[in-house]
Amino acid sequence: MASLIRSWIPLLILQSFLVAIAFGSKEAEEFSEALLLKPLPDRKVLAHFHFENRAPPSNSHGRHHHLFPKAISQLVQKFRVKEMELSFTQGRWNHEHWGGFDPLSSMNAKPVGVELWAVFDVPQSQVDTSWKNLTHALSGLFCASINFLESSTSYAAPTWGFGTNSDKLRYGSLPREAVCTENLTPWLKLLPCRDKDGISALMNRPSVYRGFYHSQRLHLSTVESGQEGLGSGIVLEQTLTVVLQPETTSVETNMQPSWSLSSLFGRKVVGSCVLAKSSNVYLQLEGRLGHESKNVDTEIEAHKLWKNADFDLSLKPDRVLRESSSLLFIFDIDKSSDSEPFDLGLTWKLPSKWSCQQAPLQATRFLMGSGNERGAIAILLKATESQEKLPGRVVTDGRCTIKANIFQIFPWYVKVYYHTLQIFVDQQQKTDCEVLKKINVSPSTDKVSSGMLEMMLELPCEVKSAAISIEYDKGFLHIDEYPPDANQGFDIPSALISFPSHHASLDFQEELSKSPLLSSFKEKSLVRSYTEVLLVPLTTPDFSMPYNVITITCTIFALYFGSLLNVLRRRIGEEERFLKSQAGKKTFGLKQLLSRLTAKIRGRPIEPPSSDSPAAQSSFLSSKLIFKIILVAGAAAAWQYFSTDN
Amino acid sequence: MKFLILVMLLCYSFAFSSGDTTIHTNNWAVLVCTSRFWFNYRHMANTLSLYRTVKRLGIPDERIILMLADDMACNARNEYPAQVFNNENHKLNLYGDNVEVDYRGYEVTVENFLRVLTGRHENAVPRSKRLLSDEGSHILLYMTGHGGDEFLKFQDAEELQSHDLADAVKQMKEKRRFKELMIMVDTCQAATLFNQLQSPGVLAIGSSLKGENSYSHHLDSDVGVSVVDRFTYYTLAFFERLNIYDNASLNSLFRSYDPKLLMSTAYYRTDLYQPHLAEVPVTNFFGSVMETIHTDSVYKAFSSKTSNNKINSEMPVNQLSEHDELQKANIPNDELKTEKQKCPYTQMRVDLHEKLEKFENVDTVVNLGIAVMVFVVMISSSLL
Repeated sequence: MASLIRSWIPLLILQSFLVAIAFGSKEAEEFSEALLLKPLPDRKVLAHFHFENRAPPSNSHGRHHHLFPKAISQLVQKFRVKEMELSFTQGRWNHEHWGGFDPLSSMNAKPVGVELWAVFDVPQSQVDTSWKNLTHALSGLFCASINFLESSTSYAAPTWGFGTNSDKLRYGSLPREAVCTENLTPWLKLLPCRDKDGISALMNRPSVYRGFYHSQRLHLSTVESGQEGLGSGIVLEQTLTVVLQPETTSVETNMQPSWSLSSLFGRKVVGSCVLAKSSNVYLQLEGRLGHESKNVDTEIEAHKLWKNADFDLSLKPDRVLRESSSLLFIFDIDKSSDSEPFDLGLTWKLPSKWSCQQAPLQATRFLMGSGNERGAIAILLKATESQEKLPGRVVTDGRCTIKANIFQIFPWYVKVYYHTLQIFVDQQQKTDCEVLKKINVSPSTDKVSSGMLEMMLELPCEVKSAAISIEYDKGFLHIDEYPPDANQGFDIPSALISFPSHHASLDFQEELSKSPLLSSFKEKSLVRSYTEVLLVPLTTPDFSMPYNVITITCTIFALYFGSLLNVLRRRIGEEERFLKSQAGKKTFGLKQLLSRLTAKIRGRPIEPPSSDSPAAQSSFLSSKLIFKIILVAGAAAAWQYFSTDN
Repeated sequence: MKFLILVMLLCYSFAFSSGDTTIHTNNWAVLVCTSRFWFNYRHMANTLSLYRTVKRLGIPDERIILMLADDMACNARNEYPAQVFNNENHKLNLYGDNVEVDYRGYEVTVENFLRVLTGRHENAVPRSKRLLSDEGSHILLYMTGHGGDEFLKFQDAEELQSHDLADAVKQMKEKRRFKELMIMVDTCQAATLFNQLQSPGVLAIGSSLKGENSYSHHLDSDVGVSVVDRFTYYTLAFFERLNIYDNASLNSLFRSYDPKLLMSTAYYRTDLYQPHLAEVPVTNFFGSVMETIHTDSVYKAFSSKTSNNKINSEMPVNQLSEHDELQKANIPNDELKTEKQKCPYTQMRVDLHEKLEKFENVDTVVNLGIAVMVFVVMISSSLL
């Protein structure tokens, strides 16, 4: 028996190899890593980490993964996610200086906090349940409070304003969510080499979180195989975009700071992740040398490019690519080793200036009005300098127009009056039908659902500025619904402005390039920008007020009823009899003396105490009591007034 | 007669203690920082220090539930992003590179805290946010924040009362969610939080007695706030000397607290905890040290060690059902046989009953009983 098994083992091994080869030859799981570095015009440096992990379509039952994270594939299978994007961001993308019309900014400029959107592959009735379960699963996976997005007051179902047209799309964002190491840790654990090896080893937590902007993004999409019996493949794209300020010693303010990887991150790259198919570092220099000759293939030309009068690179690039306005140096980090770590540096020799391409319109959003009762939200779209040069103008009926989509979610306690929507183009109020092409409104319901506004504007090409304003009333929350720091105010999530007729892409004209980063740049992406998060101060109760009210009311009640009971229960006749008997006992008491003294003064005979009418005494007593009560109540009211004033 | 009563009592105590015979199989830690706002930095540093300690002593991340009420590491006021320190020498970054926070920010509420303890979650809540302990678990529950007489404030908005805590612990005991539970609280008047506890197997340590404050240890002028509380600081000072293989007892931990240094009196409640403290190593709660049993065969040793207890506990159930079936069959001859298989307590009761039946003069027995009672009362009153 044993010998039989022994003879079978090599056969089994061979078979498993054959199976592996058969599957491998078709398509295997692929992982690639890349880092894009880009100096920014405002003396900062952008570092964009890009990791892509592809799982090919395979049998949905008994799926085994070599590189692809199991947690993600389980997520996709369990909740039937077709496409999903989750981003954690802190800081605000500076569209003016860091660019607004390139694939990098349109994909990685994200709203502050957490943003999650997902398209499901389930029947319409189950979408909300799937969304709820997905938020919980993600909150466990990424150590964040994403589960707050489960309540129907925090998410919405955009129809066309978001850019992805699907009725199974859900979108939600949490502007207040903190982003820190605990979110990056599980994100890194999805990578095959974690942060131990390869490009991800650069991610020193203090340097990443010291940056001006950091956005950690996870995008996954399923690829239908089209074959019967096979599940769908998954493409997982993980990016981390950081904007850092290199430390500079030069005093010249117009000189760009020189930097190296070790000065930016405090670490160097020691070898690539061995599981990665490709691991490259790219350096993009924008707006330069565009006028020079196109042929860069010769050695001398290439040498000129990386060591010239303007700047020096510390390492020789493997290849140089060129786009219409930017240069791309490609470095392969496979050659680096422990003894010779990869530490790319850029040294500027001459002051240089350039500008980034901007979106046709720059959006800002602000609040108007004052007080705790009502206000208005305004979105201002300003034309940028580059507007005329951009492609994507649509000429309809002889008019040149720019299309802009606005997508906005309002929490239910910001009660928006949609009839107050006003649109101004170049300071002139326009009627709706002139510029408003399409509008979709879903009003909010108190404590049930949030409001959503989708608008498509068609503005003339020569527009200088456009403004949209809408009025709202501030709602009241139940005392239990206020967060612990309610006095800080409440956030209105960012609005999304997208330009459906403008698409950004960077084509480096390399047909053979298999780099996922470059191919993602090559794809035409919708130009979009997020506005600021608005902070609305709502009427917040003084949380100690109920306690104050209870104590003061109780005091007043106690005083009132105590004295009332005293008055009602008092038996005057008995008291008088008692006093009389006392008087009879003490003939030379102090009272006797006093009464004699008063009698002397008044010149009247001594009156016995019994002569006082009981009615008079009781009325005197009660009036005295009432006076006392009023005095105490007045003192209490005054105290309350002064204490609240303080 | 007396002997019989004694045996009955023994039988009772055996029945009660049989539930505690499960062996210690795993360790869990629930670490809670209940304070929000930047000036409460020290509470988060306290909790993270404990987190680091229990992780160092062997409790894995998936068995630690960490609740932090605010984000201090990436707070805009923090001069050192992604770093939290508990000492002004800044040698040790508590936040590290691998921290996993399970509940944070607005999620740290009394409701969620009690849900974690009692295990009553919504279906969708992921495993990483649940306390999946069992009857062989030792749990460390550490809480820090601002407290008062019989309460602990959560986020400056709600309170956890000592009754709530006691109820939750009682429910945990009934649901067999722990074998032993250690509650460590670093707040003002921490001792009062344990007043209502009544479940067996619970050991409690508080930083201060009723009417006492718990003070912070020192201020870090670079961070700008106090970075650690005294009680936690000296607890850590004790643990920093230890590694996972040390056998320091709980008693030595308790003796290490000096009221002069703490500026408060540490309080221990041990009346619900049976084992002798000098014999319990601190790693029973603050670490995860498992006894490894080497076996040649795959399952043999395991079954001999653990399943014996299981078999014992399952025995009465089987026997009872057998007994019922036999009764249904109405076979009087087998009655004696089945009775012998009953649990000792039932057996004893039946014997007693039979003997009482056999007595001809029941009155003398009753009189004797009364006399014995009078005797007992006399003795007890003279003792008092």
